[in-house]
Amino acid sequence: MSGQLLQQLVDGVLIGLVYSLVAIGLTLIWGVMNIVNFAHGDFLMVGMFASFWLYTLFHIDPLFSIPICFFGMFLLGMGIYRFIVRKVMKGPLLAQMVVTFGMSIFICNLAVYLWTPDFRLLPPTILQGTWQFRGIYFSIPKVVASAGSVIASGCVLLFLKKTNMGRAILATEMDRDAAVLMGINTDRINGLSFGIGAALVGVAGAFLSTYYYIYPQVGGLFGTIAFCVVALGGFGSVEGALIAGIFVGLAQTLGGFFFDPAYKYAIVFSIYLITIWIKPKGLLGW
Amino acid sequence: MRKVSTGQFIAGVTVLLLLIVFPFFVHHPIHLHVVILVLMFGMLGTAWNIIGGYAGMYSFGQVAFFGLGAYTSSYLSVNFGLNPWIGLLAGGCVAAAVAAAIGYPCSNLRGHYFSIATIAFAEIVRIVFNNWKRVGAAEGLTLPMDKPSFSHFLFNDSKQPYYYIILAFFLISLVVCYFVATSKMGYYFRAIKESHRVAEVMGVNVVLYRLIAVMISAFLCAMAGTFYAQYVLYIDPDSVMLLPFSVQIVLISMLGGAGSILGPAIGAAILIPASEYTRIALGAKGNGVDMLVYGFLIVVISMFYPEGVWSLISRIGRKKTRTSLHAADKAEAASAQR
Amino acid sequence: MASKDSVKILSVALLLLLVMVLSVSSMAQDKVIKIGAVYPLTGNIASTGLDNKTGVDLAVDIINGKYDLDLPMARTMGLPNMGGAKIQIVYADSKGDPRNGMSEAERLVTSEHVVAMIGAYQSAVTKTASQATERLRIPYVCSDSSSPTLTERNFKYFYRVSPHDDIFAKDPFLFLKDLEKKTGQKIQTVGILYENTEFGSQAGKAYKKYAAEMGYTVVADISYTANATDVSSEVGKLIVAKPDVLLHASYITDAILFTKTFKEKGFQPKGILTMAGYIEPAYLPAVKADGNYIMVRSTFALDLAKSKPLVAKVNELYKKKYGHDMSENAARSFMAPFVLADAINRAKSTDPEAIIKALNETNIPGNQVIYPWQGIKFDPTTHQNIYARGTLVQVLNQSYATVWPFEFASQQFVWPLPDWKNRK
Repeated sequence: MSGQLLQQLVDGVLIGLVYSLVAIGLTLIWGVMNIVNFAHGDFLMVGMFASFWLYTLFHIDPLFSIPICFFGMFLLGMGIYRFIVRKVMKGPLLAQMVVTFGMSIFICNLAVYLWTPDFRLLPPTILQGTWQFRGIYFSIPKVVASAGSVIASGCVLLFLKKTNMGRAILATEMDRDAAVLMGINTDRINGLSFGIGAALVGVAGAFLSTYYYIYPQVGGLFGTIAFCVVALGGFGSVEGALIAGIFVGLAQTLGGFFFDPAYKYAIVFSIYLITIWIKPKGLLGW
Repeated sequence: MRKVSTGQFIAGVTVLLLLIVFPFFVHHPIHLHVVILVLMFGMLGTAWNIIGGYAGMYSFGQVAFFGLGAYTSSYLSVNFGLNPWIGLLAGGCVAAAVAAAIGYPCSNLRGHYFSIATIAFAEIVRIVFNNWKRVGAAEGLTLPMDKPSFSHFLFNDSKQPYYYIILAFFLISLVVCYFVATSKMGYYFRAIKESHRVAEVMGVNVVLYRLIAVMISAFLCAMAGTFYAQYVLYIDPDSVMLLPFSVQIVLISMLGGAGSILGPAIGAAILIPASEYTRIALGAKGNGVDMLVYGFLIVVISMFYPEGVWSLISRIGRKKTRTSLHAADKAEAASAQR
Repeated sequence: MASKDSVKILSVALLLLLVMVLSVSSMAQDKVIKIGAVYPLTGNIASTGLDNKTGVDLAVDIINGKYDLDLPMARTMGLPNMGGAKIQIVYADSKGDPRNGMSEAERLVTSEHVVAMIGAYQSAVTKTASQATERLRIPYVCSDSSSPTLTERNFKYFYRVSPHDDIFAKDPFLFLKDLEKKTGQKIQTVGILYENTEFGSQAGKAYKKYAAEMGYTVVADISYTANATDVSSEVGKLIVAKPDVLLHASYITDAILFTKTFKEKGFQPKGILTMAGYIEPAYLPAVKADGNYIMVRSTFALDLAKSKPLVAKVNELYKKKYGHDMSENAARSFMAPFVLADAINRAKSTDPEAIIKALNETNIPGNQVIYPWQGIKFDPTTHQNIYARGTLVQVLNQSYATVWPFEFASQQFVWPLPDWKNRK
């Protein structure tokens, strides 16, 4: 049983880091623009499909298509900001929430229209198989995805703290009005953040596509869990998203293992609610 | 609040009369069904409006109360033979109680935080009901089809009685909303929405009034839930507790104009027929085109008509005097960020 | 003030007026016999719904055309007793939502004037759709939903052609008994895994019932959400429980995810016996060789052609029309139009009461169905086809081979499950 416990811990961390990667993009967008991107899960789906088609049509291994996904999704994100989100930010909060719901429905059904609702799975790629270590099974694609998540978080943090552009983003997150006074072009920062946010979740999609099945509605559950991760970690906090993601992953596997797997998401959402009552700004929030 | 002018009164009565005679001219079940849905969603939107439009709490979890109402009355009816009308009241009370229980710890959450908490709450309720054997878990509850009668809230041969019942419920919800909006309570709600801190400083018991708002809204949603259960005679967690249902309620209210009494009703009158008829016309091909149109509509409306159709109409001829949704939210968001 | 509100109120009034006017328009009348079909044509489960549709469409082709096949109405064009009238299926999209099931069924009957209904694959949707038709007193013949509760309602107008999950749940146990007799191996423990909607939970219940009845110990009883992001906890619990045999009732997404996770974690029972998801057309292309040796319940497999040449002939037609082999799903939906065509033809009328009288007398012989059944005959109270039965197929070389009952088997089954590590 203790062997299984260790296995569940490992699995929890592995899935948790994937959640983190999905959440980092979301928390950035949220922190900078105060916009909840309900279409975030659908961006994940687009990333997964991008990886799928790059492999199927051009035989590019998902690992190598990551940079392509990153830039493609970055452009998509900036485009969506420029043409849709910017307009809505001038309006009421309710409209801002609702527009991303609309985008979610649109993107998801566009995928249905273009690619049919069928399930697709990528054949095993360069990094595949299972690695056994002291009786614990490590799925290599999952390990790679988790490593990618940590690396990506590290890169984002470096970017935010060490580059001028990054620091401008942080400043806008902390105090928007002050940032404007300091001469920061908040509109450009918004676009950049939305683009980076979309790019990150697109990369998460590319990683996920190496072992998870791909279909238009795949974004749903991942998206909802990502919200909980973001809120748990604190809006705008990248480190928070990383830690909270692991936390949620562990809650899911351990909760499912020791209690009832059927309730595992209820456990995740309950932990979210309890945390938010005690610490409304999340564990590491602003 | 303003007094009703003669013109308004006549217009209002006309619409009411039209609604009342509608089923006598229209017999086709499909159209009756659509209008019944419009009235039901109009009621749900109005219930949402009480906390969303007036008190500024954007809940995406009202479906949980709808489902709780449906399940309470159905469970009592199936297992104890309790009359659904009494079950209706029981469902309302259960929903209100749950609303209070969840509303209290959430009472200092605002803006996005509150909304996501409502999503989490609704999902928890759905997952619990999906696995709880006593209420049928995923299989749901099937209500008995025998003994159709008014006292049993069951009609097999025609939709007309259902139509009148939901019409009555809808009017009740409008009346409740009107009283909430025009009473001192409504004044406090708007103060809370404007700014929590200012309201507190003014001596408004923010927590109490938020709780009351949430309970009233939950009760009305539960009533609609019982109606639905008696109308369809089968409920399961996926049909009465699913998140997209809540989103639709918010959409309707926003489209019609949150913060105005008739806003959600107008939103329902536009959005529901749009989604039903596009599904009928475009849905059977299986390529998602009807949902594409729906999603597109939502984006366009949010971008260009965020204050809803109601404000659009009200802009004809006069400038807005009531505080716009917009300014209040900006203040809210700003204070939430600090 | 007055103008603004009046405008608003008037616009709502106009809207209502518009709807009234629309309703006055009459619907076009057709000379064909219309049958309604509700299926999930969009949504999560759309790939299955579209698959079901292919079976129905082929059936209609055969009925309306002239084919040298031993199927009801095949050798004639249309229904001979109805002056050669053709069948027309009017489809509606349930989107996988039981609410739509009800409203679409009503709309098909009242707007489109269908004389009968088929569908809807998902048992929860069939439930509401058939409730609507029962209230409207229209016949409903279902050949693709497997929840036992559908025929426990003793509805007057609802009929089911295919086996239900209670039958399907008993089959693996009967197989285990046969296996024990044949090989002398003793099976003691079973693990039961099932998704938590109507289908899965009913299957789980039935599995538990038969395990107890036939003397097997249940060491794991796990219910889960079909669209999970990860199933490590569930598989972890199974590994700890170490069952001899795993019984799994799933849809397609969970089938894929579990197969991958079983391999990843080296979960090694002696056998895996499953329902539904594993026999979907998308399963094997997704998991490829990892699906080998898994057993699935089935009503149809291509290798039945060995004992039933009709199967090969029908599959040929299917392949010509769609470019790939017929799946089990499509095969199940295939039968309902024939049952209705046969009944309407005998009734010589589209009146609902005449149709159900004919349905109650239905007696289609075994050589006119593409399944290993004695035929189609409905129980007078439950309206379940008393001859409906399932088979077990095993995935061998990435294709489905019938392995049980032994008299229908085309190949010998492989038991126990070869080690994950030692497979090619």
